[in-house]
Order: sequence, then structure tokens, then C-alpha cells
Amino acid sequence: MRILRVLVLGGSGHIGSQLVEALKSTPWAVPVSASRSTVGTGHANVETMRVDSRDVQALTSALEDFDAVVNCVAGDARSISEGARVLVQAALGTQCRRIVHLSTMSVYGPVEGLVREDTALNPSLGWYGQAKCDAEKHMREFARRGGEVVVLRPGCVFGPGSELWVGRVGRWLQTGRLGDLGVAGDGWSNLVHVDDVCQALMAALQLPVRPGDMPVFNLAAPDSPRWNDYFVDLALALQATLVPRIGPRQLRLDALLAGPPLKVMQLAFKRLGRPTSGLPDPMPPGLLRLWAQHIHLDATQAAQKLRVTWTPYAVGLQSSADWFVGKKAERTPPLDKAICIP
Amino acid sequence: MILDANSIQNGTELHADVCVVGGGPAGIALTLSLSERGLSVLMLESGQLEEDKKTQSLYEGEVADERLHSPPDKYRQRRLGGSSAIWGGRCMPFDPIDFETRSHVPHSGWPLSYDDLLPYYPQANALAEAGRFSYDAGEAFGPQLEPLIRGFDSPRVRTSGLERFSCPTHFGTRYAKRLQLAPGVQVLLGANCTAVRLQADGQAVRSLEVATLAGTRFVVTPRAAVLAAGGLETARLLLASRDVTPAGVGNFHDVVGRYYMCHIAGNVGMLTVQGPTRNVRHGYEVAPEGIYCRRRLSVTATEQRRLGLANAVARLHFPRITDPAHRNGVLSGLFLARRLISYEYGKRLNDGNATSPGHYARHLFNVVADPMDTTAFLGHWLLRRSLAERKFPSVILRNRTNRFSLEVHGEQMPQAGSRVTLTDKVDALGMPQLRVDWRYSQADIDSVRGTLDVLVQEFAQSGVASFDYNRDTLEEDIMRFGAYGGHHIGTARMGRDPRTSVVDADCRVHSVCNLFVAGSAVFPTSSQANPTLTLIAMSLRLGEHLARRLHAEHAAPVGACA
Repeated sequence: MRILRVLVLGGSGHIGSQLVEALKSTPWAVPVSASRSTVGTGHANVETMRVDSRDVQALTSALEDFDAVVNCVAGDARSISEGARVLVQAALGTQCRRIVHLSTMSVYGPVEGLVREDTALNPSLGWYGQAKCDAEKHMREFARRGGEVVVLRPGCVFGPGSELWVGRVGRWLQTGRLGDLGVAGDGWSNLVHVDDVCQALMAALQLPVRPGDMPVFNLAAPDSPRWNDYFVDLALALQATLVPRIGPRQLRLDALLAGPPLKVMQLAFKRLGRPTSGLPDPMPPGLLRLWAQHIHLDATQAAQKLRVTWTPYAVGLQSSADWFVGKKAERTPPLDKAICIP
Repeated sequence: MILDANSIQNGTELHADVCVVGGGPAGIALTLSLSERGLSVLMLESGQLEEDKKTQSLYEGEVADERLHSPPDKYRQRRLGGSSAIWGGRCMPFDPIDFETRSHVPHSGWPLSYDDLLPYYPQANALAEAGRFSYDAGEAFGPQLEPLIRGFDSPRVRTSGLERFSCPTHFGTRYAKRLQLAPGVQVLLGANCTAVRLQADGQAVRSLEVATLAGTRFVVTPRAAVLAAGGLETARLLLASRDVTPAGVGNFHDVVGRYYMCHIAGNVGMLTVQGPTRNVRHGYEVAPEGIYCRRRLSVTATEQRRLGLANAVARLHFPRITDPAHRNGVLSGLFLARRLISYEYGKRLNDGNATSPGHYARHLFNVVADPMDTTAFLGHWLLRRSLAERKFPSVILRNRTNRFSLEVHGEQMPQAGSRVTLTDKVDALGMPQLRVDWRYSQADIDSVRGTLDVLVQEFAQSGVASFDYNRDTLEEDIMRFGAYGGHHIGTARMGRDPRTSVVDADCRVHSVCNLFVAGSAVFPTSSQANPTLTLIAMSLRLGEHLARRLHAEHAAPVGACA
């Protein structure tokens, strides 16, 4: 059996760290966790390295000994877009022939209805979608120039460790800022469990890819509910009751009026080196759009070609709630460790 | 997608797997269900999103006795979302006994059981935004919930039955976007179905005729047609479609429009509970998922069978509003403000008795003498109802005396003489108007009396409360406001025998292979429960049946179903 050496960029993040653990337990892969800011990722028996994914020289030398790289890098627009460009450039200068790139459903923009992978990309929803679309363009260039690349477009990744879709949502539910939103929460959540994303990433590492092709896969559990259902279910699981019905006016006030000062406070606390975990989470206005957006990812291809077996929603919900309750006493990790920041 | 029917060219013939006539809760639930199952659906909705006077006037008609039944254009809304635009939101499933053939309830018995319908209730509950499908207080709230009446525990009277409240959800605004995006769905607004045209042999629908108030006319030729236009309008459409079958579609045995039922409802008697007021939980509880719930009193199914009673519930209620003897500022305030309240919600504030200046003065005195309670009530109403997204369902007064009237809501015995028929007068589209001749029977009153007698006995037995009512005025108390408004049931009743029913267990008109009815028109009996939740569940069941059937017959041309 051929052993793959796999470099996981963003290996200390939510998905990256769980992928490293999952790869570690396989007989066919040796993962190395790479991240920009820290060497210590908490992985036992896993090699870690510090790499600035925007530094082409550093990345080229880091990639020398690897067969494949998984790009789980999160962060600001530059980290995402420029990081992808640098990764492609570096990989082309080494023997590392395969990139598995973690993209997002945000690349589809405001489209609604059932969305397959051949739906046109639309970067109009803001910096995040734009950066992710740019990153995919760089990946396409890698495929065009002889590299092998597989792109995954997950919906909202929940499960243990998900600060974005469990942590802050749980806190909003506990403080009565979120609940049943009616029409404003009628969009599909496109939730996908972090274990399923890891499953898909591992399958993508081994997927046969024809030269010049760039297979793309949506990732969302077929039984993922609409946002309102998720909010009510999670609230009940966290005993954040009575679940309020929240009107569009309150949501807008929260996001547009309270959001900016909260964000400024968060940044100020960070600059002063003080913990932000005690601050209320600002509600990004982009989320209001997302919760009302009837985008429904069709993940049939992932089930068929990557053979992903989806974690049942109820199981994902329970594991998310258990993690939330269990971590309460712990310090909240910063959101920029997460993969998707709409 | 959602279009205006006037955008369709005159004389066009439209096609779809299913044409759904009516965009109320039944039609919307059915349409979404069919779309999810891969069928193309054309929904014909007479109205727009907002109320339109000209469209609403298409509902106008006659009633045999205005004291017994509201005019046909009241309690109904001809717009997307239907009457859910004005409903109160009370949800509860029918009880298993409602589906049984009961010897003491003539013409009772459904061709399906409670268990057949049960799988569809949770989704119906979700569509109605009434939370979890959990209608037992113990299950929904756990053992920590205080009893309805402390110390009252009867083997004959159930106190843990719940009703849950929708927001109340306006199905039109709530689900417009889902309809807009649903694959294969086309909603035509302003589209009035004016006739069901059958094939020459009368055994299949050939087409549905459609007209708009602006003069556009076209036809729809679906593989299956579903009338989901409400308990009155469905009968009107069947009766008015007379070209092939002179008595109307599905009316070979003169059943269409008959057995028309509402509910028997009114405030009666006085319940007095011993001990402190905290012994009684007469108002709303809020379930963990944020849903207002309320408990009711009901006689157990076993006792109903033993005593020959129809189904009924009773809620702990306040005294008769119109009588200032209650000395309650809130109730008097409601009475004085009744002209500001819509017809549907103000109806039970006007009992038809002459109101003298002295009567007004006594109400006014009640308001002035009770300023704190009145102000607190107004504040609560403003915050919890007017401004709230999920509205506090009804007026609940602070319990200061442990004395309550009972608000009874009871099943009506089906009778063929209670019916709707067509008149010679036509509406703006040439459709004959309806005449409503709703009737109740002495058996209805006797059954309520029997239920109340059980309550009298059981409260007396318990030693913690006593209930008393005036047997001589019961009929007057129950019939003071006539039929309970908005519950239009039984006009195209379901059954196995075509001689006594209009549709079969699959909601298919017996004599027409591809014509179906969704909504409370098909209910052969009325239960104690408000009909909305059950008609949504029935629509979801119909959606599953139609999908199964049409997928199986995919290659069959229109009309070949016979």
C-alpha cells in the first residue's frame, strides 16, 4: 500500500484539526499539520510545522516531501485568495501533485432552489464569497497546468468544535437573540457534520482525477433542516427555553444597530490582548440573508463518488449540543479559527 | 413561480400533473407536498396576497337564518393563504374516537382511522407553526406542570388534553417564497375556477374552467384535479358544474352540500373551585419551544361511548362579556370597543339583545372602577399580542375569585337537512351563489347537556370544585351566537358508500376517477377539534396518495384513469 504524506494547511482550525486526527488513524496517510500562527496544535504523535501560506518560498519548501496538500486555510480575504494562488504556485514547483481544496457554498452567491455543482459561481455576496471564488479560479489553473485538484463546497459545518454554527448560535439562543425566525429563518441550513467533511476530504485525497479535470462536490447532509428547525432543535437540546419567536425588526436591530459596536469592541479587546469570550457575539448582517436564503445544496455527487455516508441530523445535533455544554467552562476559541465566515 | 392569471393569454389550455383549486392551508400544504414528490402543480388562487373587495364579494350569498349562521362572505378570505389570514390559530388533532362508527352519532365513521392519519400530523403541526406534535400536558411539559385544577382527578374527565396555538400563521405570507421556488409549481393569482368540466361519460375531469375578474378566461387540463377551496366553496363548485351531470359533479345521490356541520359552542354555567386561586391554571402555558398551550376538560372516550355522547371539550372561561354584572373592567372595555373589532372576532361580543344607555353606563362604570386591571390588560395585550410575532391567543383574565364559566366547543351530529345549495343569483363571474341552511338538532344540545352533567357529577365527587348550569337555558346559551364561525365541515363527506358520501378514503370523488377534494369538506364528522390541523394532515396524506398514483400511471393520458 502506498503511504501518502499529506500536508494539512489550516491544521489547527476546526476542520483541519479533526482531519489530521482522522488521517492519523488511517493506514494509508501520514498527516502533517501546518498553520501560520502556532506550531502546537494539540495533536499527539503528529508532526506539525509552521508555515505562512502566503509565503511562496516557505510553502514551496514545506511541500517538498508531500504527495498531497489539503487546503483548510481560513481567515481574511487575502489569506484565502492569495493563499490559494501561492499554494498553486508552490505546488507546481514541487512533486506534490494533488490539492484538495475546501471551498464553500458561498461561491454560489444569492442563488436559490436546488443547487448542483455545475451552477454558475456568483461572487456578489461580499468579500468572503469573492475570495472563495478567486481561490477556486487558482485551483482551476492548477488543474489546467497538470495538477490534480478536488474541490469541496460544504454548507455550514457543525458538530463538535464548530464555533460558527454551534458555539455562537448556542450563545445567541441562550441569550434570546435567536429562536424561531419565521420567514426570516425559512432557508435551508445545509448543515454538514464535521466528520462527514473529513470523510469527504479523505475520499478526495484518493479520488482518481483525469488530467485537466477539477471534480467539485457539494457537501450537505440530505436531512439537514431549515434554519428555524435547527435553531429550535438546538435550543431544546441546550435547554435554552422558552424559544422565542423573533421578528425581522428585532433581527435587523441586532445585526445592524448592535452589530457594529459589538464588532468594534471585539477588535478593541483583541488589540488590548484581553479575552473576548465575555462579549456578546455580534450578529453579522450577512447571516440574516443566509437564514432567509432558500439555497438547497444537492450533495448527491458526494454520496455517489466520494461515498460519503452522512451523519444523521439527530446524531449531529446531539453531538453538537454535547460539545457546547461540555465546553462551557472552557475558554471560547476565537472565531477566526473557523472555516467559514460569511 | 407565482404569476397573475391575467398574464395568461385568453383561451390558453394549461397542463399540469395536478391542478389544485384554492390556495389556503389545504391547497398550500398539498401543493408543496406534491412538488417535493416530483409532480408539476398548477395552483389556482382566486385572490392576491392582500384582501381585495371585489374578489371577496365573490363569496357573497344567502343564509337561511342569520341568527344561526354568518353570511357566507364572513369568516372566509379569498386570497393566498385563504382564511388563515384571519384565523385564531387553535390547533389540535382529532381524537381516535372521532374516526369510529358510533351508534349514538348518526352517519358517523370515517373510512380511515386515527392511526392512518397520525403519520401526517407532525408535519401538519410544523406547517401550522404549532411546535411539536405533543398534545398531552404531561408529555409536553413533564410532571412539574401544575394541574389544571389541583386535587381534581377523575377517571371520567380528562384534564391533560392540550390545544396548541399557531402564531397564528398566515399561510400565504409564510409560504409564498416556498411556493415561488418549489420545483414544478405554478401559482396563478386572480384565477377563479368557475367549472369542473367532465368527459362525456362523466367519469373523469376533462378540464377546469378559469376566469379572472378582468375578463381573462382559460382552461386547465390536469391529470388530476383537487378542489381545496374550503368547505363551502368546494360544494358550490361541484354543484355548479352541471353540464354533464345535471345535479352537479359527484352528486348522483344528492349528498353534495348536505351534512353541513360547524361546531356547537357557547359559555355555560359556573365552576367554583375551592381554596386559593393558585389551585387553578386556567390560562396559557408556554411549551419549551415557545408555543402557547392550554388545557381543556373532556369526557373520556369510554364514557362518551357508554353515555352516548358526541365529542366535546370545555375550557375555563370568563363570564358572559355582554352582561355587565361581571363587574370586570377588561370585559366591559372589550364590550364597549366591539365595533372596532373585526366581524369575526367581535361577533361573540354582540348577543343581539338591545343595549340600553343604562347597559352602556354599567359597562363604563366597570371600566372606570377597575383602572389598574384594565391598564395592565392593555399593556399585556399590546406587548404580547399586537406587537408580538407569536401572538397571545386570547383574552385571559386574572383569576381573582376561582369562579369560571365553561366555554364549550362540541361536535355536531351530522344531518342531511343541514346543507348548502345554489341560488338563482350569480356572482360577477356568473357562478351561482350559495345559500347556507345550517341546522342543529336537539341531539346536539342533549349531548352537550350529557357532557356537562358528567362534569357536574365529577366535580361534586372530587370535593375540590362544584359546577352548576341552568338546564333550562342551555340551548339558548349554546345557540346565542349560532354556529361557531369559520368551521365549514362535511359538504363533500368521505365514506365507503357512494349513496351516503361524496369522496372515498383517498379523498377521490366516487364517480370521477381523477377528481379529489382536500379540506374539511370531506370530514364525515366534526370532532371537538378545530378543523385546520386535521385538514392540513389530510392534505399531506392526499399528496402522498396522488404522487404514488400518478407516478404509477405516468404514461396514462388524461382520462384514462377510469
